[in-house]
Order: sequence, then structure tokens, then C-alpha cells
Amino acid sequence: MIAVARDDYRESLDTLRSDVGSMAAAVLEQLRRALAALDADDHASAREVIDADESINRRYLDLEGDCIDLFALQQPVASDLRFIAASFKILTDLERVGDLATNLARYALADGPEVVTDVRVHQIGETAADQVEAAIDAYVEGDGEACRAIAERDDELDALCQHASEAVVRELVAGEPDRWEIERLLDGISNLLLTIRDLERVGDHAVNIAARTLYATDSDPELIY
Amino acid sequence: MSQTDTAETTANRTDGEGVSTTAGETVEETRPEWTCHETDGETKLAVGDLDVHYGDDHALKGVSMDIPEESVTALIGPSGCGKSTFLRCLNRMNDRIRAASVDGTVEFDGENIYQDGVDLVELRKRVGMVFQSPNPFPKSIRENVSYGPRKHGDIETGLLARLTGRAEPDREEDLVKRSLERAALWEEVRDRLDDNALGLSGGQQQRLCIARCLAVDPEVILMDEPASALDPIATAKIEDLIEDLAEDYTVVVVTHSMQQAARVSDQTAVFLTGGELVEYDDTQKIFEDPESQRVEDYISGKFG
Repeated sequence: MIAVARDDYRESLDTLRSDVGSMAAAVLEQLRRALAALDADDHASAREVIDADESINRRYLDLEGDCIDLFALQQPVASDLRFIAASFKILTDLERVGDLATNLARYALADGPEVVTDVRVHQIGETAADQVEAAIDAYVEGDGEACRAIAERDDELDALCQHASEAVVRELVAGEPDRWEIERLLDGISNLLLTIRDLERVGDHAVNIAARTLYATDSDPELIY
Repeated sequence: MSQTDTAETTANRTDGEGVSTTAGETVEETRPEWTCHETDGETKLAVGDLDVHYGDDHALKGVSMDIPEESVTALIGPSGCGKSTFLRCLNRMNDRIRAASVDGTVEFDGENIYQDGVDLVELRKRVGMVFQSPNPFPKSIRENVSYGPRKHGDIETGLLARLTGRAEPDREEDLVKRSLERAALWEEVRDRLDDNALGLSGGQQQRLCIARCLAVDPEVILMDEPASALDPIATAKIEDLIEDLAEDYTVVVVTHSMQQAARVSDQTAVFLTGGELVEYDDTQKIFEDPESQRVEDYISGKFG
């Protein structure tokens, strides 16, 4: 059979797509487990999330190496080039989402009083995780239209995060805490604000993934800039 | 796609529309806007509706493109696509092939080189050519470089010139040095200018041929796969040289190496089987986001 080298190349592009997809599935699982651990104050589960980050990092480096091999050995052009370049960037976003999931798990481990009841961290977390899932679906399916929708939905997530951060501060001030009270609440408050900030960043990574996917599918850099 | 399919496709073509073969499968249309590339800088060569036949074989079909001055234009495509035929039309080298007939125009600085009364020697002096295999004369390095200027009468060195005091040895030395320097060969051969050129390596011979071409002071340099017979180091030197030459000359290069086209050229024209110019654009655009699916398939190796 004469077309073996080219068949191998096409196969390696398909493999890259499914490998990035499966790394994304692992990252999403980490994110959702961290959110559940936060919700349930489940320390054992939070520790598992932190331990599993190592395997995400190894996967990231392996797949980055695969991209570099494809660049060096196949010298891709046109849509293949855009796809591999986009995958290369998306891998970094996924690895960062993995890091943010471990951050959330660390907040879950931190002891502290329940400070604000009005902030729906779980809802924000689910929205952020859904955005990552939608972005990675768009990548695997090569769906440019879905990418634009993801970018638009990020505004909703940003608004939720901003509202939540303001609510935390507002509730703190409304309680008119004295100096000792502030000292007692400090760790809890800052962890809560960091949780909100990290989830907002998860959403930003979802938009990055969508932006690179749109570049790969439609050669449209609109969402990158 | 086989050549037969392409022939059928072309035969069934209707104006600018999608085409169907006799087998009923739809083949991508070729859109005029894909080849209508607005280039930066002044147009050096303007090719208009160029058709070339070799007997019954229609080797180039209605090709139009503007080639800007002081830049590198790469011509790529599979064997038999007409890219070398196109290159040879730019200095009327096809005139030497009896069965070839050329229709259309090639304007060089606004003058049609196919009109009556064009001085072909003068044309080929202004539009030089470098071939696939280095072809130095079996003479000294010096004589290879000064051959052209002597032939064109730019340097007088003959017996009569020497007897009448018109010989210009200094001018010849200067020209040989400048040409070899410009071709990035001077440092390697300065101490052996009287050695036979055939003793040089392949890469040096090719740079000598480029120096020989430069010695007659051309404006355009046509290169037909200038590095295909060379090793990677010699190829890299030729590619560096091509980029460097584009500062002063208009370079048009046919290459089978798409990576070479991507590395050295400013704009790329893609010819596909059947003598058709399918897409012509900035090189970056061609290699990152070509308009034509057939061009995408060709440059990505998705064919057959």
C-alpha cells in the first residue's frame, strides 16, 4: 500500500483530537469533583483531586510533545496547521483549568466558618464547568458556531462572579464586624473571593479554547483578539 | 483525481460555475478572485490570459497574474501542471520549442514581450534564468562569470581591444568580484578564480550560475527548481541567497518543495494539473488558509 505515511499522518491528527478530548474529560472530572468537595466539605475527595493533578500535568506534557512531533515531522499547513497550533494552545488552557481545580480543592480543605450564605458557588461552578465542556465539544466536533455562543455566554458567567464578589463584601460590611470578628472571618472570606475569581478564570479558559477552535475550523481569529 | 478526470472536468466547464464531470461528481469551481491577488509594490511582470499549447496539449489555460518587483514569487504544483512552462514564458524560452504556441500577453515594465520586434537577446539579459541542475561552462570560474558581459559587449577583452587599448581588465575583475559576492560565493573561490568551474561542489556551481546570471545585470531572475539537486546545506545557502536577491531583483522560482516556497517567497501561485492557475496570494495566506479546497488538499498532501 503506497499511502501508508499519509494515512499515518491523518490518523495521528485524529488521535491528537481524541487525546485532547480525553484529557479535557479528565480535567472536567477534576473540576466537578473539586466543586462537589467544596459543596460537601469533603476533605478526602479534595485530597484526591490534588493528588490527581500530577497525572493531568504528565498528560499535558505528553500531548504537547505529540504536537511538537507533528510540527517537526509533518510540517503541517493550512487547516492541519491551524488544528495542531490550536490544539497546542488548548492543551495549556486545559492544564490551567486542572490547576484551578486543585486550587478549589485546597479551598475545600481549608477550615473556616461559613461566611456568606447568599453566594451560590455551586451554580457559578456548574456554569463554568459547562462552558469548558461546551468548548471542548466544539473542538472535538469542529463546530465554529458553538464557539461564538460560548464567548457570548462568558458575559453571563462574569456577571454572576461580579455579583457574587460584591455580595460577599456587602454582607461583610452589613454585619458591622468588629476587629476580632474580621480576623476570625478573614481566611474564609478570602478563600471565597478566590474561589469566585478562579471560577471566573475557568470561564476565561473555556473562551480561549473556543477562540482557538474557531481559528482552527474557520480560520477566524475574531475571538482570539 | 486522475488526469483524465481533470480533462473531463475542464471540458464540461461552464463560466465560473461549479462543474460536474461526465461521471456526475461535482468538482470545485475555480473562482477568478482566488487568483486576482493585489500585490504590494509595482508590477514588474503582468501576465494576461496566457495560453500555451504544445501541439494538441493545452499546457497553460488562460493564466493571468501580476508579479511585483523586488520580491520572491513561488510557483508550485504537481508535475505537469504547467508551472515550468509558465516560467519559461516570462523570457520567451518556449520560443525554442517548435511545437509550442503562446497566446496572451506578458508585459515586462508595461511592454508586451510577445509583440513583434522584441530583441530576445536583450530580453533574456534583463530576464535571466537559473536551471535545476547547475550548468557551468567547462571554463574557469572567472570566465564563467564574465562570459555574459563579454558576449553582450559590456566588457572588451579581445585581442583587438587589447591592441587598441580598449581592454578593461580592472572592470572585468570588479564585475567578477561583485557578481560572486552577490551570489555569496566570493569568499570560497577568491583564491582560485582560474580553476575550472567543474571542480566546484554542486552547491557552489549553482551559486556560480547565479553569479553568471547576475553579471549581465538582469532585473528579473527566473529559477527553475534551483535547489532540487542540492543537499540541505547547499539548499539553505541558495534559499538565503534568494531572499537576499529579492532586495534588488524580481525573483520567480519554481519549486517542488512546498516548505521552500513557504520559507523564501512573498507570494505563491498554485498551479494544478491541467495547466490551471488555481490560487495566487500572499504565501502566508496560501499556507495558513487557502481559499480553494483543491489547493488545501494539494499542499497538505491529501490527494490520491
